[in-house]
Amino acid sequence: MPAVPPPGCADLCWFDIRPIRPGPADLAELDQAERAKAAAFAFAADRHRYQAAHVLLRRVLSGYVGVPPAELVVLRVPCPQCGGPDGRPALPGAGSPHFSLAHSGDAVLVAIAGQPVGVDVEQEPQGCMCSMTSAMHPSDAAAMAALPEPERHEAIIRWWVRAEAVLKCTGEGIAHGLDCFPVISGPAGALVHGCSVDSVTAPPGYRAAIALAGDTGITRLTVRAAWDDRTWPVITTGSPSH
Amino acid sequence: MSAAPDGAGPADAAVTMIADEVRHILAEVTGRPEMLGIPPEMPLFGQGVALDSLTGTLLLREIRRRFDVDVAGEDLNLDALATLGTLAAFVGEQVVGDGGAG
Repeated sequence: MPAVPPPGCADLCWFDIRPIRPGPADLAELDQAERAKAAAFAFAADRHRYQAAHVLLRRVLSGYVGVPPAELVVLRVPCPQCGGPDGRPALPGAGSPHFSLAHSGDAVLVAIAGQPVGVDVEQEPQGCMCSMTSAMHPSDAAAMAALPEPERHEAIIRWWVRAEAVLKCTGEGIAHGLDCFPVISGPAGALVHGCSVDSVTAPPGYRAAIALAGDTGITRLTVRAAWDDRTWPVITTGSPSH
Repeated sequence: MSAAPDGAGPADAAVTMIADEVRHILAEVTGRPEMLGIPPEMPLFGQGVALDSLTGTLLLREIRRRFDVDVAGEDLNLDALATLGTLAAFVGEQVVGDGGAG
């Protein structure tokens, strides 16, 4: 059973969901809210991504806490901004590991840490993202305006995954706005909204970032499952060969 | 913040055009052509097409850029974000209220 990472460290698990086809036994591990959410997607690809991501999250967490995936209770910490019910997901119990789940395209990323953590991954958008600068803190928007294309496009994606990781770490989400704090225009190594932030090496075509609460910095990221590691023994059904 | 007023034939046509424009924005920001065929009653957030935070934000920023309507502004109207149809109707109201559809 892996230990919960010490301060300033996090474990990362990457998954390529293309070969993963959760079967009924796997999906039975999801709780009622997760099943209801999965049923509400209009498109099969979105349902598949959501189901695979949440089955994988539960299997990963199960390994850290020694509780079967189906028996894990995932709570929501109240939003620190408004007290609303959609804050950061968490496991009950003071000593439980903190975690964050992100998914985009075919990629799922799970992070585990001993302190509140947020991760984001995004498949790199193909279209213009310049309208996004109006959502930024003025100093970030000014930094973007100074960049030529395609550097600006790349910087906007880098800004987004970092901002999203921070807001997932604090549990505020994006509904309260992305313009309250500078994300990439502050001094190098400075805390962002109370978090240490860094980029995460992502699969080709994706961008990712991680945030850890507080001023521990980010000293070590351990990849426990790699993107191209097809041997991760978590999905037991849906195999094409019989 | 009422729905379309009585005798709103032209307004209905405007909302239909706005809905089409929103479908195109959705197809662009998600990279998925199937967005071009979604019905007006399709939920956008949380269920239905269930936009993620990046595509949802890009959608609202593009609406702001193209229609000069800030759906996510001070008076964020969650009802307006329920479906493609409610979003198009909200944008239509704001555009008409500002005196021109561009």
